[in-house]
Amino acid sequence: MRIRRLVAVSLLALGTVVTVPGVAHASGSAGEISECLLEKAEELEAKEIDAATFDVEAKNCYAAPSPLLPATGEIIWGGIAFLIVAFGLIKFGFPALRKGLADREAKIREDLEAAEAARASARNADADHEQKIAEARNEAAKIVAEAREAADQVRADLVARAEADAADIRARANADAQLATERAMADLQAQVAELSVELAERVVQRNLDRDTQKALVESFINEVGGSRS
Amino acid sequence: MSTERVDAYAEALLGIARAEGRVEEIEDELFRFARAVEGNDALRSALVDRSLPAERRFAVVSELMGSKALETSTALAAAIVAAGRASDLSAIVDRFVELAAAGREREVAEVRTAIELDANDQARLAEAIGRAVGKNVELKVIVDPKVLGGIVARVGDTVIDGTVRHRLEQLKEQI
Repeated sequence: MRIRRLVAVSLLALGTVVTVPGVAHASGSAGEISECLLEKAEELEAKEIDAATFDVEAKNCYAAPSPLLPATGEIIWGGIAFLIVAFGLIKFGFPALRKGLADREAKIREDLEAAEAARASARNADADHEQKIAEARNEAAKIVAEAREAADQVRADLVARAEADAADIRARANADAQLATERAMADLQAQVAELSVELAERVVQRNLDRDTQKALVESFINEVGGSRS
Repeated sequence: MSTERVDAYAEALLGIARAEGRVEEIEDELFRFARAVEGNDALRSALVDRSLPAERRFAVVSELMGSKALETSTALAAAIVAAGRASDLSAIVDRFVELAAAGREREVAEVRTAIELDANDQARLAEAIGRAVGKNVELKVIVDPKVLGGIVARVGDTVIDGTVRHRLEQLKEQI
């Protein structure tokens, strides 16, 4: 932390040295250039120098004495300003910045922890949900299985009942047919008996003459007389 | 008709027959008349029908009883019809015959045959039936062609059936 702070201050000082004197030099060189050019012009008029020399000298007027080192005053004032700024920064800026960073770090840490907690909570919630979903799926599967089993049972019962009904109907139909056949046979037998007896009655009636009648009476008397109730 | 009323009519008939001293003849004639009415639906309907004038019904009774019947018999039959008891004629006469036979210490044997039986046959038949039922019986013979042949006798609740009709019925049952 300390090393980072020192590096930051050094970078700030270097930036100040590079930029602030540059600006001061640029702002003060116009007068100097004019003054240098007037001086060289006067030397040319006085023929102290020739034209070629004047060109060289004039170009030199435009050139800065050093691209890196500003004027001494500027360095002093710049240094003072730098120290003031550095002092202010070290005294007030960095603590505030550090505090802000610390707060921000703490805030980020808290947020991360909160996010982690939320993620854990969400993970737990997900797990709960997964568990509930799994339980619901199991329950649904169980219900479906039970429903299927019940449906199978109902279907089996219906089929069994239908088969039983069909068997009953067949049995009744067979019984009815048997009964109808027996009735028809009985009717036929009754008719045959009736016709046979009728025929026999006619034959008997035709053959029962007086002597036969007397014989029947005699037979009755003998049979009844020979029995005792 | 109640049994008491039948008994009362039968006892009245028996009293009159005894008073006339012709119990057996009256009994026999009324018995035949009752059987004739019993075997003819049209005749029975005519005698029961009260919308017919009484004279008409009396004429039917007289015609059916015949000219040879005793007047007492005809009068008794007409009295039953006139009293509106023609439908109970058979029951009254049967009870009358039973009471008369009981007075002679006998049971009535109602015999149906296809032919007339002479006195000898009737006597032998009465003896045979009496032996069979263990009682003294007297016959009331009815000639009934429906029996075809043979004899059926009924003494009280006992029936002895030796008719051809009965055998044919048995044959029919067997078939």
